[in-house]
Amino acid sequence: MAAGVAAWLPFARAAAIGWMPVASTPMPPPPREKRRGQDGFIILNVSGTKFQTWLNTLERYPDTLLGSTERDFFYHEETNEYFFDRDPDIFRHILNFYRTGKLHYPRHECISAYDEELAFFGIIPEIIGDCCYEEYKDRRRENAERIQDDEENENNKDLVPPDMSFRESMWRAFENPHTSTMALVFYYVTGFFIAVSVMANVVETVPCGKAQDRVKEISCGERYAPAFFCLDTACVMIFTVEYLLRLIAAPSRYNFVKSVMSIIDVVAIMPYYIGLVMTENEDVSGAFVTLRVFRVFRIFKFSRHSAGLRILGYTLKSCASELGFLLFSLTMAIIIFATVMFYAEKGSSASKFTSIPAAFWYTIVTMTTLGYGDMVPKTIMGKIFGSICSLSGVLVIALPVPVIVSNFSRIYHQSQRAEKRRAQKKTRLARIHAAKSGGANAYLQYKCNGMLAHVEEEVTASKEAGQALVCKSNPTFETEHHHLLHCLEKTTNHEFVDEQTYETSCMEVSMMKPSMSRSSSLSSSPHGLSSCCSRRNKRKSFNVPNSNMSGGRRGSIQELSTIQIRERPMSNSRSSLNAKFEETVPLNSEEPSYITAAVISMSTSPVTTPEGGDSASSPDFLQSNIVRVSAL
Amino acid sequence: MGAVVGTLTMQTRQRRPSRDKIDDELELSIVCHRPEGLEQLQAQTNFSKKELQVLYRGFKNECPCGAVNEETFKQIYSQFFPHGDASTYAHYLFNAFDSSQNGSIKFEDFVTALSILLRGTTTEKLQWTFNLYDINSDGYISKEEMTDIVKAIYDMMGRYTYPALKTDTLKQHVDAFFRKMDKNRDGVVTLDEFILSCQEDENIMRSLQLFENVI
Repeated sequence: MAAGVAAWLPFARAAAIGWMPVASTPMPPPPREKRRGQDGFIILNVSGTKFQTWLNTLERYPDTLLGSTERDFFYHEETNEYFFDRDPDIFRHILNFYRTGKLHYPRHECISAYDEELAFFGIIPEIIGDCCYEEYKDRRRENAERIQDDEENENNKDLVPPDMSFRESMWRAFENPHTSTMALVFYYVTGFFIAVSVMANVVETVPCGKAQDRVKEISCGERYAPAFFCLDTACVMIFTVEYLLRLIAAPSRYNFVKSVMSIIDVVAIMPYYIGLVMTENEDVSGAFVTLRVFRVFRIFKFSRHSAGLRILGYTLKSCASELGFLLFSLTMAIIIFATVMFYAEKGSSASKFTSIPAAFWYTIVTMTTLGYGDMVPKTIMGKIFGSICSLSGVLVIALPVPVIVSNFSRIYHQSQRAEKRRAQKKTRLARIHAAKSGGANAYLQYKCNGMLAHVEEEVTASKEAGQALVCKSNPTFETEHHHLLHCLEKTTNHEFVDEQTYETSCMEVSMMKPSMSRSSSLSSSPHGLSSCCSRRNKRKSFNVPNSNMSGGRRGSIQELSTIQIRERPMSNSRSSLNAKFEETVPLNSEEPSYITAAVISMSTSPVTTPEGGDSASSPDFLQSNIVRVSAL
Repeated sequence: MGAVVGTLTMQTRQRRPSRDKIDDELELSIVCHRPEGLEQLQAQTNFSKKELQVLYRGFKNECPCGAVNEETFKQIYSQFFPHGDASTYAHYLFNAFDSSQNGSIKFEDFVTALSILLRGTTTEKLQWTFNLYDINSDGYISKEEMTDIVKAIYDMMGRYTYPALKTDTLKQHVDAFFRKMDKNRDGVVTLDEFILSCQEDENIMRSLQLFENVI
């Protein structure tokens, strides 16, 4: 909870008077006032620079060093001040956080020094205000990356851990060629063969002089067919072996098969195998020739060797929508102008504009300012529209391209920042939610362990040492806040529970569990409950019966509300269990009927309380501790 | 090309006046309000000087401009009830605090109300509570008003309560209230009926004293 509003708690509590006439049950007694004396100054001496503030200011954040009793360790008696041997410049910001509730990050400070100070004073960086948070996170990330890069560079030179399996080392060799000489050799060999294969594909088609019995020139591929076939076979064999090795070494074969690079590999070697399989059928060989086109995909295998190619591919992928829009607007313009040109040139004789699709070619050539000249308009209207077409072509093409370039640059950086912010926001929200639910849960937890102890305190002077409930010294603020929430519960006669308990109770509303032997007089409430806190004060034998919910610890969470239940229905409940109970909590006789005793199955753990209560109470405490931990 | 540039610049020139207006509005909203002097407030309320000082320091810290508007008020109040939705009840509270009904609570309003709640007589407290319940300030608490108030209180509990809220829980609660308060069974509760009924109820009397030591 934002402790900045701690100042308003007195007001919220005073306003609770508005609930009083509406409440049907009496209110819990207020927490005892822990008078801390006057609100005075506190002097903080940080490496010689003296800071002074109200004591209340520091108390606003009791979970930090300055707000808790931890600062007593730094108290210097001779000078009656608190001395910290830290950086005063950064401390200024930390103190401002207490004053204003907002933590700022000074841009000129080193990020790791700042982080250290925050850690020292017990302040989590997530509460840095929005104005400075992005900067802080950026600097932190930069720093982390720098450190990580240094570490990686160091690590790469380290020896491979000897316990890596052969498969893992093979995969590592494939991914990082610099790790070993074998990997490097492999890398260069495959690169060489990719180049050779591509060159062979290219050279195959070059005309290579006349054959003896033919008129026209034949290509080199036909002339030296066996040689090229051998070369092709060798390359494909190498590529196949490489693919299979990668497949074997891949940590996740499914992911590897899905990846783009493996698809390129497959497409590159497929035509050869299909060619092997296919017969020398004339009809099919035409299709086979087409397949050979796919051999050019081998050039994409270079992208494993070149980072630039990968970046280009990523660029195009991320810019796809802009390119798509460009394409769409171009298509629109082409269709419009092609239609116009067709109808304009319809009249002229021997016009090449035989149809609108035929006019597409003219429009594209003109708009991209290529102007091949194979189709030219002859009519005047055609020429006019043709010139308009070429002028607009410049605009249509030239304008979006810089926009796309700058758009791409902006969107690329923005999306990176948005991703960052989203990831940060998620974690921030998660932490805020945890703190908030921690606040909500804090009350539920407090109900379990703190509140009872409080009531107990007022009635009895001492708690037994060994059995005292672990009741950490709640700051006054927390106590008062919990009292306020308790008043609200009393006003409405309902209690706060957490989600699981609520669902449990909803689910089992219809289930009636038979009450166990000892509690024959009990009317059981619908759901099984495990114990919460039991007070083992000898003077008050308020034993919370321990019960285990059927089906495991599912119900372990409703400890939260069990105390309330147990308190109230004293009048009509578990006679034998609470025979000696003399709780002085005032009971309203007009109990709403929904509250009945809530004891289902007793645990069979040994009875340890001297009162001889039926339930096992001694492990209760531990169990309740455990329960609490698991619940919250 | 020149025409394009010309049209573009023309557009920017038109946009400027509206931007100036926004700047003006921003400046107007940061107006401070200072409370009356310490002695005056001390005379008007039942707080000591030191208490007023502490109160004002907390108030000024949260609202540097000296007045709370309803949104801020709702936010602050909701912080104390993380389980449910406290905005409706905060709205009614705001109206009860804002004695001058001008949409913002100044320090004087704040301190006056606190003085009644924490240091006032029982009758004053009950009167304040009656004003809180009487949403339309007509001197009568009708069943609808009471239902609204009780609903607002239940909203603060949130969804996850034990036992689960049933549809007629509210109605039962309001009926119980009216059974107790409405003496002459005319369907509305007047101030006298309210004070009388509350004074008869031990629990209410006791709970009114609960928060004496808050400051």
